Amino acid sequence: MDGAAGDDEFADYTGHHDAGFEGVEEPAQPVIPSAAELKRQINDWRRGRATRNLWEAFSDAYIAVIAALMIGGALVNVVFRAQRVVAQCTSEACLSARTVLPWAAFALAVALALAVSRLFGPVLASAAEGFWLLDTPVRRARLLGPRLVAALVVALVVGALVGAAVTALTGGSVLAIAVWSSGTALAAMAAVSCAAAQQGGERDRMTQIAGYLFWVLGLAALVTVIGIAAGWFSLGLSADLDAEIGLAVVAVAAVILAVSLVLAVLRLGRIRRVRLVSGGALVKGISGAFFALDFGLARDIVVARRAVAVGQVTPRRGHGLGRQALVWREWQRLRRFPQPLFVLAATLIVPYACDALGMSTLTPVVAALALFGASIQLLGGLRVLTRTGGLARCLPFSLAQLKISAVTVPAIVVAIWAVLTVPAYLGFGDGAATHPASEAGLMAIATAAAGLLAAIRWTQAKGPDFSAPMISTPSGAFPPGLMSNVFRGFDVCLIATAPMLLGFSPMWSLAICAIAALILLNSMDAESLRARQAEQQKELERAKKQRAAAAATERQRKR
Amino acid sequence: MAKRTTVLKVTGLKRAFGKNTIFDRFNLEVRAGEAIALTGRNGAGKSTLLRCLVGADRPDDGSVEVLGTPMSETSPEIRRNVATVIDDLDFFPDLSVVEHLDLLARAHGLENPDRMVDEVLDEVQLVPQSGQLPGTLSSGQRRRLALATAFVRPRKLLIMDEPEQRLDTEGVSWLSGRLQTERKSGLAIVFASHEPSLVDSVATRVVTLGAPR
Repeated sequence: MDGAAGDDEFADYTGHHDAGFEGVEEPAQPVIPSAAELKRQINDWRRGRATRNLWEAFSDAYIAVIAALMIGGALVNVVFRAQRVVAQCTSEACLSARTVLPWAAFALAVALALAVSRLFGPVLASAAEGFWLLDTPVRRARLLGPRLVAALVVALVVGALVGAAVTALTGGSVLAIAVWSSGTALAAMAAVSCAAAQQGGERDRMTQIAGYLFWVLGLAALVTVIGIAAGWFSLGLSADLDAEIGLAVVAVAAVILAVSLVLAVLRLGRIRRVRLVSGGALVKGISGAFFALDFGLARDIVVARRAVAVGQVTPRRGHGLGRQALVWREWQRLRRFPQPLFVLAATLIVPYACDALGMSTLTPVVAALALFGASIQLLGGLRVLTRTGGLARCLPFSLAQLKISAVTVPAIVVAIWAVLTVPAYLGFGDGAATHPASEAGLMAIATAAAGLLAAIRWTQAKGPDFSAPMISTPSGAFPPGLMSNVFRGFDVCLIATAPMLLGFSPMWSLAICAIAALILLNSMDAESLRARQAEQQKELERAKKQRAAAAATERQRKR
Repeated sequence: MAKRTTVLKVTGLKRAFGKNTIFDRFNLEVRAGEAIALTGRNGAGKSTLLRCLVGADRPDDGSVEVLGTPMSETSPEIRRNVATVIDDLDFFPDLSVVEHLDLLARAHGLENPDRMVDEVLDEVQLVPQSGQLPGTLSSGQRRRLALATAFVRPRKLLIMDEPEQRLDTEGVSWLSGRLQTERKSGLAIVFASHEPSLVDSVATRVVTLGAPR
């Protein structure tokens, strides 16, 4: 290539024709666009690529939208009808629930907001934004402002719904519903805002401590409901005083929100990119798992994230040989990270609360559902051993042996849970249904077994198989098993506790649990059954080929 | 000299995805002390074949036997005899590196698990990371841990899919030496590899899959 021509090309490209030092002009300072201009440009590109407008998208999704509206309407109707019914109850249990349960909802909503904020950020950015936008000299605070607002709006909506639903379901007045709905919403927003302020200061200790504190407060409120229902003590709060306290809560939450919001906004530009992007990656992973209705995967992502945050542990020596070593490691894992035990302990309140609230008939199913949710955290070992098969292949045990070993420690813990819930079935609080000691014991065991087995079923769920033939539905093609993942676990809870709900002997529930255990803990899961079926099919085809070959030989011989 | 035991026998193995046949009528016999290297271009079916050999994938036809027992991934006897290093190895997120190895050694009933774990940990150079949780390891360290899981337990057949992946030069050299020692001590080895030095130094036979380039 001709050198001069090449230089000319370069000169044209850069816009500089004079290569001499004397004539060199100072390069013009690049004009940095504002965050708003940048976003406008990105939106223009996005709109340019859009193939449907908003109305067309709505037309396509009308079934989902109408279904959501119908279900939402039905739920609101149920809540209002329940509110009217429960508002007429004037027993000590109902009054205590009406006074204290909104407090519990308030505390637990704040705790949840803090925990979620700490997990995700709460301010976050996608990897693409991290790479293309956050690395530019554009003002980062302006870019991230809408993210903080989005997080606050989510907290507002969820907090308001939780506060309103709990107050309505306990028979609170319209004023109480309005007060607690506002209070819970503002407090949840304040929690998110405080977490954002901490994020900007590269700290999260206060968020963590506040989170634990609110969990404890929430549980204490729940225990108070039970205590009052059981007649251990009385709060002596009137409805008017309760509303006044609620208004004070609204005021305090508003002040904390205002102060923390100012801090959070001031610190927005200081949040490191790595923290923003890691939250975005987590959301991306979890949302992908949720789109596939693979809730197990969503949980795996969160668990892996927590483990990475811990990073290092003090190694502990194992104990025993063979399966004993596996059981011992499960115990050690639980001792190392005992949080699941606290959650499980918290669910002990559920059967007592049901009794205290006069819902004794529903105690088994509600308690089993609560235990189901809490037990999932205990079954981390089972999850790892069954999700890919890679680790299980390294261990010299059958699948059934592996599952039983992984479940032994959780089963012992749940058995203790069952023993501690027996008094709830014996009859607890005013108006609770009473049962003889033997029946109460069996009910407690059956309920605990239902909850644990539901968690075992949930834990062993495989993600949907997108390579299998799809099922045609009005909403498009679905892989088989996609929708059943939604009900996984809940089905075991409901079927196993149905006999107790219908007033039959708990022995029926125990029999159902025994059958479920045989299926879930043996090698009789769906995958193994499919494998066996495929193996049998292969055998049949092989036999058919042999028969055909033999017949052909026979014909040949006859000729 | 006594005839060596047949550890792995593969007869008429076939695997196809739809109309695309990956391999058909594949036969292989591996005796104790033999090392078979599977080579071939990307997509030739090396990993699929190995997955069929360890029971992670189901062949469409044919049979796989390990020491006379038909391959079944769920059989404790097969799991006791076959150590594998393929890509689907999972880890407990809350158990440290050394605890994983300790668990495996104990689960396989080793009388002196501590000594074996220390030796292997030292060999794969993961002693400084022994207390780390697997999620914090680099990809190379995770590979070393995966290899360690195969060496910390008793085994008669070792199946590995590209064991050199993500290892540094020193790591590949160590692996080569270790596999030679394993082979000489009577272990049967089947491995897929793209690393000529590893294939040359370890394999007693080379099987090339797929059409040549």
